[in-house]
Amino acid sequence: MNVLICIDDTDNLESRGTGELATIMAKEIERRSWGRCDFVTRHQLLIHPDVPYTSHNSSMCFAADLDLANLDAVIAYASDFLRDESAVGSDPGLCVSVIDQLADPEAIIAYGRLAKREVLNKKMAYDLAAQLDMHLSEHGGTGQGVVGALAGIGLRLSGNDGRMKGWLRIETKNGLASVGDIMAQAPLGGVRTMAGELLAATEMVEVDNKPKAVLLDGQIYLMVSPIDNGGAVHWRTTPRSQLKKF
Amino acid sequence: MWLKDSEGKKAFRHGHVAFNQASQAAQVCGSFRPDVEEEWVADEERSCYNCRLRRWTAESFDCLLPA
Repeated sequence: MNVLICIDDTDNLESRGTGELATIMAKEIERRSWGRCDFVTRHQLLIHPDVPYTSHNSSMCFAADLDLANLDAVIAYASDFLRDESAVGSDPGLCVSVIDQLADPEAIIAYGRLAKREVLNKKMAYDLAAQLDMHLSEHGGTGQGVVGALAGIGLRLSGNDGRMKGWLRIETKNGLASVGDIMAQAPLGGVRTMAGELLAATEMVEVDNKPKAVLLDGQIYLMVSPIDNGGAVHWRTTPRSQLKKF
Repeated sequence: MWLKDSEGKKAFRHGHVAFNQASQAAQVCGSFRPDVEEEWVADEERSCYNCRLRRWTAESFDCLLPA
C-alpha cells in the first residue's frame, strides 16, 4: 500500500535538518524490510509573524510502499525516532497517511495549499486528520509541527509542490548531457522547460554540478532554462535561485 | 544593506531576490554558516540567503547573529 510520511519542526539552529531526519527514517524503514521508500521532498509553508518557526517554515515528506502489517511498526518507530532525535526546543510533528485508503484526498490537498497562505493551528490539523483517519502525532515541545506535517502530506499528494531534497547525480561530457542520457541516469518524469514543455531525448543540456529537481504533475522533473548565446546547446539546468517558487 | 531596530535586530533591506547583495553581505561576514542544502535558495553557497542564521520573514529575512 502507498503511504506518505511527513515530519516538521524537528530542528534548531545547531541541529541536523528535518530533511536529514526524514532521509534517516526512510533508510531505516528499508533496512528493517518494512517497505520501499521514495525520494524526500521539501514543502514551503507560510512565512508569517504568527507562525512559530526557527529560520524557515518547511516540512519534509517521503512516500513508502509498505505492507499493511508493518504500518503500526513504522508509526511506532517514527514516533520514537522523532522523540529521541529532534532538537532541543523544537516542536516535532509526524503525519502518516495511507493514500490508498484516503476517502477525501482533495480535503487534505486543500489543507496543504491553505497552509501556504494562512495561519493554521493544531486543532484544525487534528480535526482534519481525525476526519480523514490519518495518523497525526506530536513528539515534543508545543507539538506545533503537526500543522506542517499534515500540510506536507497534502502538498506532496497534490503532486505540484516542492523540491527534491539533495541533487541529481548526472554524468556529463564536458558539462553536457542529452535528455536521453539524463533520463537514463535519474528516475525523472522528464526534462522540462520553465514554460512547461518537455524536451526531446536528443536535446542537449548544459548540466549544473548540483542540479535540483522539482515535483510537478506527480512526477520529479529536471527543470531547464534557455541559453541564448548563439551556440549549439539551447538549454541549461535551471539555477537554484529560480527554483524558489517550487 | 541592513535595517536595525532599537533592540539591534538586523533585517536585510533588499528582500527575497537580491542575490548579489545577499552574496556580498555574506562575503564580509565572519559568522556565515551554511544551512542544510535543501534550504539553500541562492546559487552561490556563500550567501546570506543560504545561511543558517537567516530567519525568513514575509518581506525579507532577519539576521540572527547577536547585535
